Amino acid sequence: MNRRVVILESISRPLYVAILLASVWVLLRGHNEPGGGFIGGLLAVNASILWAVAHGSDAAALRLPYGSPLRLTVIGLGIGILSGIPALIVGDPFLTHIWGYIPLGFTELKVSTVIIFDLGVYFTVWGALAGYALALLGVDESIKGRDMTQDGSASK
Amino acid sequence: MSLGARTAFVLLPLLAFMAVLWTAATQPLPLDIHVPWIPALGVHLDFHIDGLTLLMLLLITGIGVAVFVYAGGYLAGHPQQKRLYILLSFFMVAMIGTVMADNLIVLFLFWEATSVLSFLLVGFNHEDPKSRKSAQQALVVTGSGGLALLAGILLLGQNMGTFSIQEIIAQLPYTEHTPLLTAALLLIILGAFTKSAQFPFHFWLPGAMAAPTPVSAYLHSATMVKLGVYLLARLDPGFGGWELWQWTLQIFGSFTAAWAMLLALRERDLKRILAWSTVATLGTLVMLVGMDGHGASVAVSALLLAHALYKAPLFFVAGNVDHGTGTRIIDRLGNLRHAMPLTAAAAALAGLSMAGIPLSFGYVVKDVVGQADALGALSELVKVANTIFAAVAVAVAAVAAVRVFWRHPGHNITPPDAHEGGVALWAPPLVLACIGISLGVAPFMADWLLGVAAEAMTPRAEAVAVHFALEFSLGSLLSLALTVGIGAAVFIYWDPLHRRFDRLLARFDTLSTPAQYERFINGIPVWSSRSTRWLQHGELPGYSTLMVGFVTALLAGILLAGWGHWLWPQWVAPSTGFVLACLLIVSGALLAVFQRDRLVLLLCSGLVGYGSAVFFMYTGAPDVAYTQFVVESVFVIVLASVLLKLKLAGRGQGMPKPHTSPWAFPLAVAFGAVVTVIMLVSFSAAFNTQLTDFFAQVSVPEAHGRNVVNVVLVDFRALDTLGEIAVVMLSFLAALPVLHAVRAHMLRQKKSTQEGSKA
Repeated sequence: MNRRVVILESISRPLYVAILLASVWVLLRGHNEPGGGFIGGLLAVNASILWAVAHGSDAAALRLPYGSPLRLTVIGLGIGILSGIPALIVGDPFLTHIWGYIPLGFTELKVSTVIIFDLGVYFTVWGALAGYALALLGVDESIKGRDMTQDGSASK
Repeated sequence: MSLGARTAFVLLPLLAFMAVLWTAATQPLPLDIHVPWIPALGVHLDFHIDGLTLLMLLLITGIGVAVFVYAGGYLAGHPQQKRLYILLSFFMVAMIGTVMADNLIVLFLFWEATSVLSFLLVGFNHEDPKSRKSAQQALVVTGSGGLALLAGILLLGQNMGTFSIQEIIAQLPYTEHTPLLTAALLLIILGAFTKSAQFPFHFWLPGAMAAPTPVSAYLHSATMVKLGVYLLARLDPGFGGWELWQWTLQIFGSFTAAWAMLLALRERDLKRILAWSTVATLGTLVMLVGMDGHGASVAVSALLLAHALYKAPLFFVAGNVDHGTGTRIIDRLGNLRHAMPLTAAAAALAGLSMAGIPLSFGYVVKDVVGQADALGALSELVKVANTIFAAVAVAVAAVAAVRVFWRHPGHNITPPDAHEGGVALWAPPLVLACIGISLGVAPFMADWLLGVAAEAMTPRAEAVAVHFALEFSLGSLLSLALTVGIGAAVFIYWDPLHRRFDRLLARFDTLSTPAQYERFINGIPVWSSRSTRWLQHGELPGYSTLMVGFVTALLAGILLAGWGHWLWPQWVAPSTGFVLACLLIVSGALLAVFQRDRLVLLLCSGLVGYGSAVFFMYTGAPDVAYTQFVVESVFVIVLASVLLKLKLAGRGQGMPKPHTSPWAFPLAVAFGAVVTVIMLVSFSAAFNTQLTDFFAQVSVPEAHGRNVVNVVLVDFRALDTLGEIAVVMLSFLAALPVLHAVRAHMLRQKKSTQEGSKA
């Protein structure tokens, strides 16, 4: 029953990493250049879909950080909420972002709670939208006849 | 639960009761407490304690002590007794909050909390479907009323410019009767009527008798159902002068009082009989609130107190009878005084007060109620309602105190295993009934409390010294003789009256409000499945036709409505890039129309996406163009690989047949035209650059970022973004079970077909 696409399977490995690296790059440059958590998360979703198409949706879910789209989503939202807490401690309204500068000699590194917040957005978007896509693909797989066992590997 | 745990729970209302007494004794009234909460919305945790609040607080905490003690005995050994105690405690807090709140929004929050807790308490025996149904009914009626109340509160608050009840009732008499205020008044009355079970919402209260007896005694006689009356009494100084207010309250109140008392005749269940008489009392209270003048206010406060002091014990008595004999059906009960002497005594004392016999507090109150002035035109109606109410009240009291514990005409049965409960069961009704009798012997003890309560309801009136005294005027004795006479007759002929009345009303059962409610509830799934079948038919072309058609009609309507006001842009020669982008989009769209293969179709639609990206590039939005390029490319690649895979699996070779709808072409043209015109006119309007300038200026110095879009998302509007990602997560959470269920279903189906083929 199961037809494998060998070219897709082998190219999906480097592509997966490449898309994720690109998505992180988009996430990090977001504050000054076009990009940010939403678009970065969307890119990462594409990596997961690619993996699902090549190896099955359960394998793609396992490959997500924390091993499940739901967990990733919840952790993302949690990170987003946590990034607002430092402001409360200082006495500012919730989610007022705090900026700090770490001198590195030749230049200084700007760190802030903004990037933590954006990371939360990135995780949530990645987890939820990848979760949708993988679940839909999973339904499709069960129609098509690609049996998935509990551990996520495709049965032959 | 151990005795210690029960005692700990009883301490809660007891301490609250002490605190209320301490407040009454030491603090000057009215007492105001102000805690800022949401200043931007004008919502503060404002509390105002005046006489009326004090009376309600004493009822809530005082009856609360009795109920908490009683619940310990009534549900002794019940595995979920702790849940009952916790719910009751929350309920008490919600009640205290409702009667103390001065801010209408805060009042509403506590009000809704009482509705929800009432739902949980009525449905306490949640394994019983009847109990669940009653709980649902109570919630649907009071919850819908709560919505009306919220609308009324918002209207009232917006029109008066404040949500403070004290300020509103101070201004209202001098405010013009605008239609909006009238709407607010009617909505608030609606909310109060559902809570206090006024006609036509009277049916939910007897239905709620599925609750355990302590709950019925607390919520459905002494406290929660009085909230509607409380709210009306609270607003009475403001609306009291309005004729609409007086007419509505007096007509509905007196009708409910008489009708509910008659409906009590249909019942055989002691608790339901008492419930109907409670509805009737609430009707009398509403009617009294609708009357003008200080006398009516005194009557309201006196009846509030008296009713709690006799109805709560009678409910306890009904609970004891149920507990001791296993039934509440009055046909199977009689001569219980030998087996349950203390309960019989409590029933007799409370019954005296309910019947309004001299030397009980009920007699004093009946006198005061009789003296309240009705509207001239309504005085006859009110008099008739009062007479019916008082007479049947005598009969109901006799049923509860005489028929069950002594005898009635005809055959009397005593359940063989009848027995008295423990002290927790007989002490609360006995104590409350005794208080009612002592207030009847020495009514001056209630002077101060009822005086300040009445004053809070009529602040404009000259402070009249309220003095209750035991008087035996000829008039009051005559009316007493009349009501007791009729009541005794009703009691003696209860059974034949019941049969005739029941037969008569049974003919109109399909027209009754419970039947209407039933029809409404049963109609919901019917209508929803009908509308679902019509709208959610599962055909994508149908969905898109409907959606695009709706948007087109909406936009066209807006365009036509403001046709004369639109400014048209001037012709500007387009740049080469602009023309190129448009060509890309148009060619992609045109090509897509004629494709049968899904893969080519996807590529064509990708052309449209790239065209818009080019377009963005030439119109000064490079970041949007960049995003569009990325998303479009990845989207096309991934979707193409999915389609390829589907093709390999032997599915999705292309559209099975050319599907053209006669609507599609004109609809597409109309949609395109409308959107084009909208774009044209919106571009020619003056563009307000205030926000753009603001963000351009502060983005770098305040948020350290040059990408304004991202800075707005993660910094200036971070809370909105947090809300958005929360919505993303919730939608995923909601969809997950559905998708998993579909998948499991598919797998099961496949397995069974496989097994079938193997066999």
